[in-house]
Amino acid sequence: MNAPALTVEQRLAALLNYNFLFLMMFVIAAILTAAMTLQYAYGELPCPLCLLQRVAMFGVCFGIVQQFRHGFSYRNSGLSMLFAIFLLIVSVRQTLLDIYPRPGHEYIGSAVFGLHMPVWSILIALALMTAFAIKFLILGGDETLAKVRAESFPLLSRLAAILSVYVIALCMINFVSVVLQCGLGECHTFGYALLPK
Amino acid sequence: MMAVVFAALTLALIVGWFSRPRIAIALAVICLLLAAKLFLFEIYSPETGFRMPWLQTGLTVPADGA
Repeated sequence: MNAPALTVEQRLAALLNYNFLFLMMFVIAAILTAAMTLQYAYGELPCPLCLLQRVAMFGVCFGIVQQFRHGFSYRNSGLSMLFAIFLLIVSVRQTLLDIYPRPGHEYIGSAVFGLHMPVWSILIALALMTAFAIKFLILGGDETLAKVRAESFPLLSRLAAILSVYVIALCMINFVSVVLQCGLGECHTFGYALLPK
Repeated sequence: MMAVVFAALTLALIVGWFSRPRIAIALAVICLLLAAKLFLFEIYSPETGFRMPWLQTGLTVPADGA
């Protein structure tokens, strides 16, 4: 069965959609890489709320990976947006917690460009939700977007596959790291609980 | 608990990659629910919960005679 013929505009809209998603996943992967570099190279252990923020960012990536693997769908976009909202809630809570410094409750870790991670997370969550809103505004939820698979753009599809595998690898490393840091219990630790001191 | 959240998320990503979208989405939703539960535990736990006494969102009742 032949694929339905698409106009140039429809193909361009699909290309824009996949480029947009790729860019979002690239930025999140860069942020997670930076956070993990600070953790492993500079010994800055993430707090429980910091780890939940990482979960939220990986969750946004999950929705994007699904779009590249199985085509555009509102379900995947919705899931990404839910994780972005979760990121906003957790990071606002943590910022409000640390905005009034007192013993044991200062911002954790180094400031990056003058801002600490929870404050960055607020900006990241707002940027993600704005990006999704703009994408829906400009491209809409056209049936066309669902018809055109990422494989129609070979180079972009290959790059997205590499980036997706990278994000999955980051998540696996984080999983192992969390098990070492927290074991199976709560995560209020100042070192890796399962590693010899 | 945090390990379980990450396990669900990692599984969701891997299963999604190997073309099982429905199971992957179910795992991602489970991960989100567990993460929300953990977040609520973190902020409401009487021992380790993080209170913010400088923010008063409830109506303060004035003492008698005030």
